[in-house]
Amino acid sequence: MSIGMIFLLVLTLLILFGVLQRVLDRMALTDRQALILVAAIFIGGWLPDLRIGMVSLNIGGALVPFGVCVYLFFHAGTAKERVRALVASVLNAAVIYVISLFFPSDPVAMPFDPMILYGLCGGIVAWLLGRSRRSAFIAGILGILLADTATGVVNWTRGIRQVLYLGSAGALDAVVLSGVTAVMLCELFGEIIERMTTGKADSPHEDGAIQGGQRV
Amino acid sequence: MKDKFTRFLLSFFLALALYCACAVNASADDQVDAEALHVAVDGSGAYLFSIHGVLSEGDEYITDDNVLYRIATVNSGNAIAEKIGEEPMPDVSWLDVGEAQAVFASDETTQAVSAKANADKRLIALYVTHSDESYIPSDGSQSINGQGGIYDVAREFRDALQKQGVDVILDESTHLPHDSGAYRRSRQTAERLLQKQPDAIIDIHRDGIPDESEYARTINGEEASRVRLLVGRSNQNSSVNREFAKQLKAVADKQYPGLVKDIFIGKGNYNQDLAPHAILLEFGTHTISKERVLNSTDMMAQVMSTALYGTQTGSAASEKSSSGQDAAVQSSKGVSGGMIFLVLSVIAGVIIFLLAQTGSGKAMKTKFTRNVSELTGGLFGKKPEDSEP
Repeated sequence: MSIGMIFLLVLTLLILFGVLQRVLDRMALTDRQALILVAAIFIGGWLPDLRIGMVSLNIGGALVPFGVCVYLFFHAGTAKERVRALVASVLNAAVIYVISLFFPSDPVAMPFDPMILYGLCGGIVAWLLGRSRRSAFIAGILGILLADTATGVVNWTRGIRQVLYLGSAGALDAVVLSGVTAVMLCELFGEIIERMTTGKADSPHEDGAIQGGQRV
Repeated sequence: MKDKFTRFLLSFFLALALYCACAVNASADDQVDAEALHVAVDGSGAYLFSIHGVLSEGDEYITDDNVLYRIATVNSGNAIAEKIGEEPMPDVSWLDVGEAQAVFASDETTQAVSAKANADKRLIALYVTHSDESYIPSDGSQSINGQGGIYDVAREFRDALQKQGVDVILDESTHLPHDSGAYRRSRQTAERLLQKQPDAIIDIHRDGIPDESEYARTINGEEASRVRLLVGRSNQNSSVNREFAKQLKAVADKQYPGLVKDIFIGKGNYNQDLAPHAILLEFGTHTISKERVLNSTDMMAQVMSTALYGTQTGSAASEKSSSGQDAAVQSSKGVSGGMIFLVLSVIAGVIIFLLAQTGSGKAMKTKFTRNVSELTGGLFGKKPEDSEP
């Protein structure tokens, strides 16, 4: 069983046991919606890619996460949060692109696995910009998709006819891992720092979050 | 405003802390050029091996005569390795039996076993992560922006495996540029290939050490190139892949002594977490002629086929099967070790998460038992009505 598969399994268990309940509430998602999404990502990852010219899109690895981003974008509490999410996405893509260029190409020389590194970048950049779980998720997903697209475009401009695969590894792709890692980092560091600074985490909900089954 | 400033300050320091953690994790080799050549010597200062990349403490190396070394200290990228001892290699004595019987076996026996072998699915998947890799003497450059000379090696290796009766899927996708994202891009290719459920998945590379003589050899009377086996140690399949590499080397040492140069077990993943029979093969180095490397592909294909499927004779097949059982036992041990580590990590992660959310051990326990109770309809954990404080 690969790390990615274990990661998804752990995520499912975390949702089932309610550990991520508050994270999901703040992302305006119910537990059931989250489980359906995990299933869609998993099943979609095994479906054939959609090929549009030189771009190959995986349903579970790119389209479903992108759809969730669109959903979260329109359920963002304020216009400011939407702008923050987009800016974080672009900055995250730039960071990932630069990391790709300047980090050593051999895994023996890398401090982290590239996927984890990208997930960390997504979390940090998004959190610095908004401390919103939604922004973090959007930035994590879109950051990787945009960085991959930039790499593809650069290749094409250099005359290399290389198919641009987006989310091709499905549920195990860096796109999904980045989004989930980003939001979990946000939650973990947010909570820890909140506790360290205030001594408690009273869960001041974000606009648009779900509490007690009701959107607030 | 003050609150926002505090948040920003906290964010900044947390990011700084993470950056420092990354920097420390990048080892003490801050000044080391990760793309340069580095050398490992043993305790007496005798040369052991070179690598185009970074050596880290804990990396392991199995020499061509099967002695295990472990990197003990790294200074400016170069390393001192301590000798651990003779590495126990898989027993491939069934190869002797197989070869002897291949000579004396009746046609009936051979045909019967061949039919069985043909009935089983034999599938190997190949791909090339570093698409640009090329051989200077033959391709004119060590890096070609597109499909480099390494694809010729991959195609030749595919053809050689097919001659051994193995079905081969060679994915010729490129994963350019040759940067830190290359393995992530090739991971997508590996994932696609694994959907076909191959018996092994092989990433074809060439090394980057400049000394041609490290690889150039006359093997079985042919001007050929040696092959380095590379195993990543940062994944849960590491011990299984290591056993697979040792199996390949043991077979090669028997069939084509000198063909497998060594086994390097280094930091990194190399997409080998995806499958238990995933390996990276370094066919020669950039300064060697590609023709030499192409001569090695036939030999390596035979080694690969024998290591995975055994020989074609009945005795060898049955011996292989017992040898295969041993390998399976070792594999399952390796997987269990990795799984135990992962399960412990998951439990630790859940506890940290719950603690961060609830703030105390008691509240954490209450939340967890309540959720377990809700999930199991009150079968386990606290009853929902009792659980609310």
